Amino acid sequence: MGRILAAPRDWVASLGDIAQFSARVFYEVFGLRVFRFFGEALRQAGVLILGSTMVIWSLAFILGLQCGIEGAYFNRSVGAPAYAGVFSAWCDLREIMPYAFGYMMSAKVGTGLVAEIGAMRITDEIDALEVMGISSMTFLCATRLLAAFMVLPFMYLAAVGAGFFASYLAVVEQIGEVSSGGFFLIFWMFQNPPDLLYSLIKGMAMATMIVLVGTYYGYTAGGGPVGVGTATAKSMVLNVVGVHLIGMLGTQIFWGSDPRAPIGG
Amino acid sequence: MERDERNEEHDQHFEDDGPTSWEIEDDDEAEEHEEHEDEERGSRTAVTYEPEPDDEDDHEGEDDEYRWHTAKRTRSDTAESDAVEFIDVKKTFGRNTVLNGLNLGIPEGQISMILGPSGTGKSVCIKHMVGLLYPDEGDVLVHGESVPDMRDDDLFEMRKKFGVLFQDGALFGSMNLYDNVAFPLRQHTDKGEDEINEIVTRRLKEVGLGGAGDKMPNELSGGMRKRAGFARALVLDPQIVLFDEPDSGLDPVRTALLCELIKEIHEENGGAYVVITHDIMSARRVAEYIAILWKGRIVESGPAAELFNSDNQFVRQFLSGEARGPLGME
Repeated sequence: MGRILAAPRDWVASLGDIAQFSARVFYEVFGLRVFRFFGEALRQAGVLILGSTMVIWSLAFILGLQCGIEGAYFNRSVGAPAYAGVFSAWCDLREIMPYAFGYMMSAKVGTGLVAEIGAMRITDEIDALEVMGISSMTFLCATRLLAAFMVLPFMYLAAVGAGFFASYLAVVEQIGEVSSGGFFLIFWMFQNPPDLLYSLIKGMAMATMIVLVGTYYGYTAGGGPVGVGTATAKSMVLNVVGVHLIGMLGTQIFWGSDPRAPIGG
Repeated sequence: MERDERNEEHDQHFEDDGPTSWEIEDDDEAEEHEEHEDEERGSRTAVTYEPEPDDEDDHEGEDDEYRWHTAKRTRSDTAESDAVEFIDVKKTFGRNTVLNGLNLGIPEGQISMILGPSGTGKSVCIKHMVGLLYPDEGDVLVHGESVPDMRDDDLFEMRKKFGVLFQDGALFGSMNLYDNVAFPLRQHTDKGEDEINEIVTRRLKEVGLGGAGDKMPNELSGGMRKRAGFARALVLDPQIVLFDEPDSGLDPVRTALLCELIKEIHEENGGAYVVITHDIMSARRVAEYIAILWKGRIVESGPAAELFNSDNQFVRQFLSGEARGPLGME
């Protein structure tokens, strides 16, 4: 019985450690101590922009195309091709973009953080920072979270825009069963600014979790290169699970009781 | 980071690294040292001798294990005081006791060497000095201030007294050599870029890397990385400089050159230099003061010349590098 419970106990213990670590990083950011290293935060923001923007936007664009195509064919099959914009509006904004953002953040940014900080751990770079009198937690983890807060909302909104554009191309230009005006009439009817805000909150919750999980696993990596690899894999698993949990809870909270759809009054 | 977190983190690293040759000590011994701890804590002055085991009959196994540990310490005539002191320090990782009642003083103004076989806790000593690890028992004093008792902010301030050269230099992989060396200056001083440039260029020249400032760490050889790490360690003019096995992975010629460099820089800057090594040739070249660490305690310490002429069989064997003697493969 003890053995059976050992694994769940370890998971709970790990989650507790991550929560404690996250609280410390939040304290460093919202306690403004991170602004001692604002230059490093700006550098990390630059790294995010240059390293991840195009990848995330590209994925968003492809998934926007997919939403548009599937929506157009589905609506044609039920005899309502003019309503293809409904599918695009909901699919893009409410579900696909947050998930796409979460997946790509997990795969590109989260694993990158674990690998980078983990490598710094095993090559004594973190110890070197500490003995220079610099808080490694603030310098390495809080600066990255601040950079994420500075960059990712804009990156996310632009990704949503890329998805919308791709859906428009697929529905109006590629399949062409609805006019541009007809598409946009329905498209905008089925979404409004609060939906965009909710979608942004979902995306940013995912991004925050991914940065915290990535920095945690990197910061606590040990056991040489193999240990860093193991930590990277663990972070990926936790991030993917977390992305889906946040996605599900977000949909339930924001649209569960009120789908905000102009149907049936 | 909190003290417990840091220790747990190190425990994890240690366990991940697999089994070592460190031995597990008797519980009796731990109890014995607990009894001594209170009186030792009462007098945190320079340590001259380790406490002798008081009940020989009860600790035959321990006596045998520590029979070469005379704990004799001779002060050098020129030494001022101790920059760093270890007082009855014990440190255990999992079931492995690494430091077992360590008493050690690092004299001010000299190049000291902590020598000892692999796996005796030399690097753990360095980490205790700068507060990267904390003792389970005992105390570590830096210029008379207890490191374990410091709050985080005081600890970060205290660490500015130190320059540390890690085994592989621990240069930041995302910065070139120049930025690596300039990093402490940019973080801790209000100096302008011109002044920083002057200091960094001078330090890089001192270590023979004058033209390599724009190189990334992965473009450097092991020896160059160590020298660059040395330049970075010196850039804030620290009062205490720690070298963690500066000779590891270097060929004999480059080891000799690095030793010469350490001597030259020490002559120029002064301060307490602590070199951790198990290389006897390096000890002969640079050491002014030597402490020999084995099984978590100091076997003997004193001026280098005296240690090289010690009567202690363990010290003689270790410093001559002979196969025959008390130190075996275990």
